[in-house]
Amino acid sequence: MPVLWIILIVIAIGAVGYVATRARAMASAGNDARHLHSLPSYYGYMAFLFAAAPAFLLLIVWLIAAPLVIEKRVAATLPADVVEQAASQNLLMAEVRRVAVGLDNAVAAGVMDEDLASNARADFTDMTARLKEAGQVITQNVTTPVLRAAQMMREANASSRLWMTIAVIAVAIAGAALAMMRAQRDYRARNVVERGVRWMLVGAASIAILTTVGIVLSLLFNTIEFFRIYPASEFFGSLTWSPSFGGGSELGIWPLLWGTLYISVIALAVAVPIGLFAAIYLSEYASNRVRSVAKPLLEILAGIPTIVYGLFALLTVGPLLLAAFGDGGLGWMQSGTAVMTAGLVMGIMLIPFVSSLSDDIINAVPQAMRDGSYGLGATQSETIRQVVLPAALPGIVGAVLLAASRAIGETMIVVLGAGAAARLSLNPFEAMTTVTAKIVSQLTGDADFASPEALVAFALGMTLFVITLGLNVFALYIVRKYREQYD
Amino acid sequence: MNDMRPLERIVDTDNIKISAKGCQVYYGDTHAIKDVDVQIEDKTVTAFIGPSGCGKSTFLRCLNRMNDTIDICRIEGEILLDGENIYDKKVDPVQLRAKVGMVFQKPNPFPKSIYDNVAYGPRIHGLAKNKADLDVIVEKSLRRGAIWDEVKDRLDAPGTGLSGGQQQRLCIARAVATEPEVLLMDEPCSALDPIATGQVEELIDELRSQYSVVIVTHSMQQAARVSQKTAFFHLGNLVEFGETGQIFTKPEDPRTESYISGKIG
Ligand SMILES: Nc1ncnc2c1ncn2[C@@H]1O[C@H](COP(=O)(O)OP(=O)(O)OP(=O)(O)O)[C@@H](O)[C@H]1O
Ligand SMILES: [Mg+2]
Repeated sequence: MPVLWIILIVIAIGAVGYVATRARAMASAGNDARHLHSLPSYYGYMAFLFAAAPAFLLLIVWLIAAPLVIEKRVAATLPADVVEQAASQNLLMAEVRRVAVGLDNAVAAGVMDEDLASNARADFTDMTARLKEAGQVITQNVTTPVLRAAQMMREANASSRLWMTIAVIAVAIAGAALAMMRAQRDYRARNVVERGVRWMLVGAASIAILTTVGIVLSLLFNTIEFFRIYPASEFFGSLTWSPSFGGGSELGIWPLLWGTLYISVIALAVAVPIGLFAAIYLSEYASNRVRSVAKPLLEILAGIPTIVYGLFALLTVGPLLLAAFGDGGLGWMQSGTAVMTAGLVMGIMLIPFVSSLSDDIINAVPQAMRDGSYGLGATQSETIRQVVLPAALPGIVGAVLLAASRAIGETMIVVLGAGAAARLSLNPFEAMTTVTAKIVSQLTGDADFASPEALVAFALGMTLFVITLGLNVFALYIVRKYREQYD
Repeated sequence: MNDMRPLERIVDTDNIKISAKGCQVYYGDTHAIKDVDVQIEDKTVTAFIGPSGCGKSTFLRCLNRMNDTIDICRIEGEILLDGENIYDKKVDPVQLRAKVGMVFQKPNPFPKSIYDNVAYGPRIHGLAKNKADLDVIVEKSLRRGAIWDEVKDRLDAPGTGLSGGQQQRLCIARAVATEPEVLLMDEPCSALDPIATGQVEELIDELRSQYSVVIVTHSMQQAARVSQKTAFFHLGNLVEFGETGQIFTKPEDPRTESYISGKIG
């Protein structure tokens, strides 16, 4: 039975449980809801919870665990010499999976009947021909052991499905029945539902945290793999970045890191003052009419996709800068793609982040604080500088950091605006590139995934991650230290 | 005998610090203060009493133009400080507020250290020549605010970390640090214990030798103890204004009498 059907059946059982349990609870209180411990619907929710939660949990665990178990068992049946012939067990098992799926599809398409597909004495040459005929992707001729293993896998899959369906539905029914049995007037259904809600929330939070941990771990393992084939001292010590997929490449991180930091610093130098001043104007000086028009307009900037900013950098800002600083002007700039181009455009992109967040934060400073300052004879700008901004500082630092991590992680504007040359230079009118842009270029293309040239992407990603983490920790420390609480 | 009266009048007008004439205040469509005339004398304590929501705070905030910060608030009539209309175009509200200080109904210390809270006004107005001078001002103000002994060992601690009553006294110290000519106090003692209340009342009495003080209070006893003049507000009207003793013993208006004896409120 398809999983969707199982889910629908469980929900139906839950719904029936809801109605039945609610009715039973009402009956136990003589049909007067006031005599029940909890509102009648809580008994219903409880039944739904009892039916659905364990059933779905079982379903998920089964769906994850069953393939692993089956594959292990099937792999154990493959003769050792066959495994040796194939390059690795993984490749062989992939072939087995493909054949099993191919058989399934062939049966579904009507090219083969179920008997033939599961016939243990079936001839493998014939089988290969038939599978190819059915349009299934088979890389080589199917050998007898592989065919037998595939058939065994199909069988195991089918029985696992059947047992899963039975088990899940049984659990759902048992849960609903248990809830129904408990539906007495003094039973504290409300508290049970409360606990259920709490565990649901805990579950959601754990999934979020576990995903993060998973991402970090996968980064970490690949990074370790990279350092096994490429010396860390080179990666962190070399000042050259020149990957060559033929081997003998130099993969020093410094030119990339320098490009990232240089562009980010220019971007923040543009975005922070403009964004902050715009926020102060909007929240402290602007009339309501101006505010209601200007704020959404600023926020539109935040909705523009970065690729559009990239085009803006490439087609407008680059040529403009070139006209001023290129050979026709001051002669500092060779081409339109440069650190300055990308930095300026990225700064424009970040303005709404800084201004919108700072505006909200400044507005959250209580009016009483401003009144206190005005009442002592302070002017508006004195009040803003000495009372409002210090009170809003932690939030503003947060906004700036958010902008900083966006800047460090930005890729599109860099690719189009800053060029692709990894270079260590102080001249902001030269082309450079960043960590993120190089991660993309190392992973696109058909390099061997196990080569240092591809794996370096993970080491770069990890470095970026550590830097952003460090930035956040540092910001947290600053905020804690200088926090001026106003409530 | 007859010529005594004009003479008295002249002395009176000389002594007037603030005088409101036909003052009307609107919050949008709400008419919060209705045609109030009042004369606040120099070197006296004037108490505003009246039931909650009658417009005491609103009128008090008119006296140093704090209502300017409320968009929907509109004021008509004139309020003269030393004979000059404070709502005149050429008057700078910032300078006015330095002269007419205010303690708010809810304590609102800045999120700064206790020292910086008190030093805020003297710093922006350049009242201290150097750090030592500023230290003296801060200590003197905190003593006048009756809070010095409690905070003298932690002047660097944040002002917001104090208790509600301590915060209110800090705000009083902050207001007197700028040496205003008039001090407006909106229920300064509502969060204070009897001891601190007594100290603040002592401060008010002391301030009277140099300044004019206006205090809003819900405590009849307090009004009777500290003030020389009392104004009774009711539903935005100034019902009665006169010598404190007379208001509390022989009120002319029946509304005043019933409020004082606890029948409206
Ligand atoms: N910011 C405001 N916006 C609109 N209406 C206001 C505002 N402030 C006060 N009011 C209205 O003005 C009237 C007078 O308020 P005010 O704060 O002056 O009363 P109060 O006498 O100080 O009362 P309390 O003793 O409770 O402090 C009230 O009806 C109130 O609803
Ligand atoms: Mg009030």
